Amino acid sequence: MLVFAASDKGGTGRSVTSANLAYQRALAGDHVAYVDFDFGSPTAAAVFDVPGAMRGTEERGLHSYLEGTVTEPARIDVWRQTEHPQLRARPNQAGRLVLLPGDAGGGEFAIGEDALERCVDLLLRLHGEFDLIVVDLSAGRSYAVDMALAATAHPRMRYVPFRWLVFHRWTRQHVIAAAGLVHTDHGIIKGGVERGHDEEALRGAVRFVRAAVPDPDSPLWSQGSPAQAAWMQSCDEALRRLAAEHRIGDSVVLGVVPLEPILQWREQLITEEDVLSTQIANKETLEALEEIARRLTDDDCWGRP
Amino acid sequence: MTEAVFRETAAEPRTQAVPLSHLSLELGHLYMEDFEAGPGHLRRHFERVRPWAEAARATAAAAGGKRPRISTCFLIDDYFTRFSAPAEVVPMLLEEAERAGLVVDYLARESGCAVAGKVPVAEAVAGRIVEEPPPGSYGLRPPATQTGWLANGERSPVARAPQAMKKATAWQQPKETAARRHSVFLDVELWDDGPDGHRTWSCPFLAAVWQLARLGLLRNEGEAVLVPQPHTASGFPDDWDELPPLLRLNPRADPFAAYRTCSVLPSRFLPVEHAVRVILDQIEVDPGALAQTAERSARENAAVPDSVADRISYVFYAGQ
Amino acid sequence: MTPGDMRPGGTTPGETQPPVVLACGEVRTCLLPALQALDSRAAAQLLGLRADERVLLSERPNLYGRSPDTLTGVDCPLPSANGARIRAVGTVAARASLTEGRVLQSSAYFRVPASGPDHRRPWGHYLVRPATVEPFGKLPYEAVAQGLLNGGRHGELDVGLIADGLLTRLLRHPLLDHRPPLKSRPTRLRWVALPAERDEGPSIERFTLAEDELRTVRLRVPAGTPAGEIAGLCDDLALHDWLLTTVVRILDGIRLGAAEPSARPRPRTGESHPAVVTALRPAVDHLLHLWMPRARVAHGLAPLWEALEDRPGFTRQWRTLVQRIRDQLALHAIPHREAELIP
Repeated sequence: MLVFAASDKGGTGRSVTSANLAYQRALAGDHVAYVDFDFGSPTAAAVFDVPGAMRGTEERGLHSYLEGTVTEPARIDVWRQTEHPQLRARPNQAGRLVLLPGDAGGGEFAIGEDALERCVDLLLRLHGEFDLIVVDLSAGRSYAVDMALAATAHPRMRYVPFRWLVFHRWTRQHVIAAAGLVHTDHGIIKGGVERGHDEEALRGAVRFVRAAVPDPDSPLWSQGSPAQAAWMQSCDEALRRLAAEHRIGDSVVLGVVPLEPILQWREQLITEEDVLSTQIANKETLEALEEIARRLTDDDCWGRP
Repeated sequence: MTEAVFRETAAEPRTQAVPLSHLSLELGHLYMEDFEAGPGHLRRHFERVRPWAEAARATAAAAGGKRPRISTCFLIDDYFTRFSAPAEVVPMLLEEAERAGLVVDYLARESGCAVAGKVPVAEAVAGRIVEEPPPGSYGLRPPATQTGWLANGERSPVARAPQAMKKATAWQQPKETAARRHSVFLDVELWDDGPDGHRTWSCPFLAAVWQLARLGLLRNEGEAVLVPQPHTASGFPDDWDELPPLLRLNPRADPFAAYRTCSVLPSRFLPVEHAVRVILDQIEVDPGALAQTAERSARENAAVPDSVADRISYVFYAGQ
Repeated sequence: MTPGDMRPGGTTPGETQPPVVLACGEVRTCLLPALQALDSRAAAQLLGLRADERVLLSERPNLYGRSPDTLTGVDCPLPSANGARIRAVGTVAARASLTEGRVLQSSAYFRVPASGPDHRRPWGHYLVRPATVEPFGKLPYEAVAQGLLNGGRHGELDVGLIADGLLTRLLRHPLLDHRPPLKSRPTRLRWVALPAERDEGPSIERFTLAEDELRTVRLRVPAGTPAGEIAGLCDDLALHDWLLTTVVRILDGIRLGAAEPSARPRPRTGESHPAVVTALRPAVDHLLHLWMPRARVAHGLAPLWEALEDRPGFTRQWRTLVQRIRDQLALHAIPHREAELIP
């Protein structure tokens, strides 16, 4: 299965969250590929903590592959090549976790017919090999989003199941922007239909992930004044109404990731170690990620809302 | 599959042999405009061809020792434009040749070089193109490959939108791979596809197929293609399609295909024939056919050059 | 005539050719990405790379199809273990094959004579010597053989690229629906063959499982062994190594526990027997009948298999794996007859 991670704006934690989802699925035993189509700022290597393995991929990453100057993009086996001490010991029952990085120093570029064919070649090869392929896409109405829509509409991809996750922060601006990315004239749905997708099917394959959401009930805020708590509650409700008005209400939300300093600042994978022994991450965050990872392939969470 | 006891015919390649002359001498091409110019135009053509034809014969005789086997042929275009009818054109053609003292042994239709009977000859030859690698080719298919075109070197890189914030590459000159210091770069259009998907092969490409046919190097699944048909009927049909793609007009003619070819053509064909050479230089011909020709020519002390393009020659005479 | 004969072809009498001292190739092996195995007719369509050349089809001892050879021109340095820069020009042959309509292989190979002129000749010269790459000057073949096995630097001859290019072309064929019955990883097998000592028979000097997907093989073959036959042997080695690798991974997978629902059918430990059956079933349906070493290996090279049968014992391992799969299925079949209903 292909999972595309999209967002309208930067700063939604799209890359780090989708990397965590990939990691969770690999822990659960799936063979997972993480494909970095964030062409303007290919940074997945930092999330998986594989800077050493990135040396020598300047000219062998996904940019070079799509441009046709290499035929096999570099692959990084995360368990083996990570410098993250807790990841290096691949858990006994884990599946493979492979990163396909962009070129270090690569930039956004226009995608032509040949690049699209090569993209389809790549996704199909990964589909034959991996249970789950997470594709991180550049923010906004980007070439990467365009290519993902065109590739999944390609006749050769007709039997490859795919789903979209749209990440947004829990603010007024982000809610409107995320709805815009999906539902407006040049959004994912309309753009997809123009490229040959069935509107209903595509709509059923898009879900939202609310990121960096402060939880009013969390102990983090329990020290605040009653006035603060009431204000947070009313803001949260207002945002829910706004989201529903913009057709991104609770029924199409796959999950909510709490506001979590470790995701914001460290921008890395959250391990059990972070929760249990060093306790720098919240248990709720890890559970939220595990739950979203589980729902990726739970058909009850998908389809027409 | 070296064990001899059990054999599967579908699992074994074989190559049919064809009879071969020493020289295939082409007396000309006929296009619609030549025909429209009238019998006088053809007469002048054959008059000009005759001394060169004799010279080619004499050269072949001097090289071969014994009486060389030489066959003559003539190609009529019925592919790009259909004009008149065989019943009208062929007798006139033969009469004018005879008047100049020339005998046309074999008559071919150009559309037979595209599709002969049911065999898609041109498509098969296109599938045998092996592009001459410019220095630095290490196995990656060059991104500059242009479908439907074939060059004798490296094209100027296509101006492509660069990645954001990267510099676009400056113009670079095209380069002939076998250049001696300076290039004569040639880029040949092999075909074009119409809006209905119908593919039209270019004149140089069909001419390259024609040369391979005359060199006895075309095979389809090991079988010879463009095999001459005897002319048994008394006259010629009214429709080009009813004329065999390759017709033997002279029952006593030497074999159609030959170790080498020579074509006598007006000089306006020079660019086309340059293109033919560029194409032939990059075609991997059937190895079985190649081996047969090499072996038999060597046995007759008339060894052919390795390179197929070096087996063809021309006489270009001045004029139209 | 087999292109890629170790004797350089197209020789004109009186001209002596330097002997071939090195042959090299790379094989890519993968599961055909289609729900159903292809029958011979469909195989012929897939492998029909040229309009005028027959696809070789064979039904004994198993269903097998092989495409005609296609050539790719190269002009670049050869990799070498000692850093020597040897430019070489010529053509690399590549062909594809399909075994039992299920396992797809693309195989690229070439041979190198001991020496060549120190300039590039007209292209026609190379085209009549298919699958031959001629060095400029004398070839330090031991260093180049090692360089080829190690893999070259960017810009040096990469025979794997040519095999991969052909594979990509085949995978774009409209006959393929890209619904593979099981997840599997393609493998690469890179090989070199050096001349055997006088009067010595062929031998495998080394068979290495390098990285996850790369295997390297170093052979010695008698002078005059056609490169196409060596490639045929290596295709056969690659096919069987891929089968072992793939079945081992399937069995590895059934030990895994997984949070349900999973993206692929896989059982949790200690429960749900049909799930084990679901995981093993594709191996039974699509892989177990493919084991047939030496089916198409040239007579002179067939003894090379014996070394691998002796150690590590390819067929021995295969039999053990097959037995394990059968045991598992038998175990789960007894209390759960419904297992048979799983598609």
